[in-house]
Amino acid sequence: MAKTAEELNKELADAVVDMDEELVGDLANEVIENGYDPLNAIDQGLAKGMDEAGKLFEEEEYFVPELLMCSDAVNTGIDILKPHIHLDDAGERHKIVVGVIEGDTHDIGKNLVKVMLSAANFEVIDAGRDVPPEVFVDTAVKEGAQIIMIAALMTTTMDRIADTINLIKERGLEGKIKVVIGGAPISPAFAKKIGADAYSINANAAVRIAREMLG
Amino acid sequence: MSMTGRERLLNALAGKPTDRPSVISACQYASYELMDATGASWPEAHRDAELMATLSGKGGAEIIGLDAIRAPYCQTIEAEALGAKIKSGGKTHIPSIAEHPCKLDDTPECPADFLERGRVPVALKAISLMKERYGDQVLVMGGIGGPFSIANSMIGITPFLKAMFKTPDKIKPFLEVGLEVAKKFGQAYIEAGADAIVIEDMMASLDMISPKNFRTLAAPYEKELIASLDVPVILHICGKLDKVMLDIAETGATAISVESAVDVPAAKQAFAEKGYKTAIIGDISPSGVLLSGTPEEVKEAVHDALKRGVDIISPGCAVAPSTPLANLKAMVAGALD
Repeated sequence: MAKTAEELNKELADAVVDMDEELVGDLANEVIENGYDPLNAIDQGLAKGMDEAGKLFEEEEYFVPELLMCSDAVNTGIDILKPHIHLDDAGERHKIVVGVIEGDTHDIGKNLVKVMLSAANFEVIDAGRDVPPEVFVDTAVKEGAQIIMIAALMTTTMDRIADTINLIKERGLEGKIKVVIGGAPISPAFAKKIGADAYSINANAAVRIAREMLG
Repeated sequence: MSMTGRERLLNALAGKPTDRPSVISACQYASYELMDATGASWPEAHRDAELMATLSGKGGAEIIGLDAIRAPYCQTIEAEALGAKIKSGGKTHIPSIAEHPCKLDDTPECPADFLERGRVPVALKAISLMKERYGDQVLVMGGIGGPFSIANSMIGITPFLKAMFKTPDKIKPFLEVGLEVAKKFGQAYIEAGADAIVIEDMMASLDMISPKNFRTLAAPYEKELIASLDVPVILHICGKLDKVMLDIAETGATAISVESAVDVPAAKQAFAEKGYKTAIIGDISPSGVLLSGTPEEVKEAVHDALKRGVDIISPGCAVAPSTPLANLKAMVAGALD
């Protein structure tokens, strides 16, 4: 007997937590073959699994390598499910620009944030790593994004984040584009000092912050 | 009796009495104001031994007043010598790796002429100049990457971490090369006059890997590296380390350099129970205090660190280049009163 959509979603979530990329692929195909809602499978399956993995990370059960394996599994699932989503069903998705500050090529945290946000049904525009301030702002303006998320992984690069925030002010975009920052060397005090709109301690928190900002 | 910075730090590292708490910067401390004050700036100082020695030596010993001076500033020298493409950071950024030299399936090796490659000779020459000029007053420290960090700079951290799960056998050769490179570089620093070696194994942080992986993939290589270096060794690792502080002490490092995320009193107690003499260096926050705070707040942070049992005062990680010079000086002043 075929599994119900709920059963499949639960198995998808578990497979993400178990870092089983192959099983996620099989289950995602099963969702499509059964004619179940792919958007629901992302939201109630993949995203739930990633959310659980994020919780395990906060509890120090999982570490970055585990999250990378989970996010690979999520990406595999999304790649299979996404072509079957009708745009009308998806509704309007909020856009978020993510990237790593200029001079810093450590993109591991940024990539995790990207997967978490994608799984949470945000449209993520990846500006990449080593991103100059004007590229962050230009990309956000061009894409109509209301949030820019900037990562810095080194104390030697973090002090350049202020350049992007200042550029937003210079162009009169303050309030229209919000800046969320994060990364190992960043502290809430630093975020406040340079005028960032929010500090995100990890990829999980980034999703919560984005939801709050965009209502 | 007043001590020289060199005497003070050597005593502090050995657990002997000092005239006042020792203050160093285990990781890089070049700032824009220091560049202006010494006339030696990035990016030139990354590739010119004289400028590197001036910015680090004059800047650290004379202007900030640290008990130790160190070079270099960035963590890309080993990767560049192993074939990575490097993007210059210009005046305001440090160099970064534009392209990693290897893929996971490659068989890596340590080049026979490693010490002649890229900026390795620059850093070695800078250390010998610093020793010549300041060696009687302050400790001269050569900075190298840890084996784990060098290994993953060869293929990139993401493929490396994934391979730890999927094909752990494939990363072993990279760790072996990382170890060989670090040993060569460290020994060459000592021959050039370095009094101590700082190993920055920033990627072996629990922000990146689990305690289990730290014990199997980072610590054994750090231990072998430290055993090969015949001078005091400071091991710097970023982030939360509470679960592996004893493992780090067991690498044989003379001192451990940590950030404020580490519970220092708990670590000190655990060390005391085991009879470990490992000194703890830290843990003034480079972002929360040194970059964003006032000189008064820096002094308070120094007092607080000493109260918690930190043995030697230092920024918890590399100093952000726009850090006010007044705050770096306040870190030293905080140890005077």
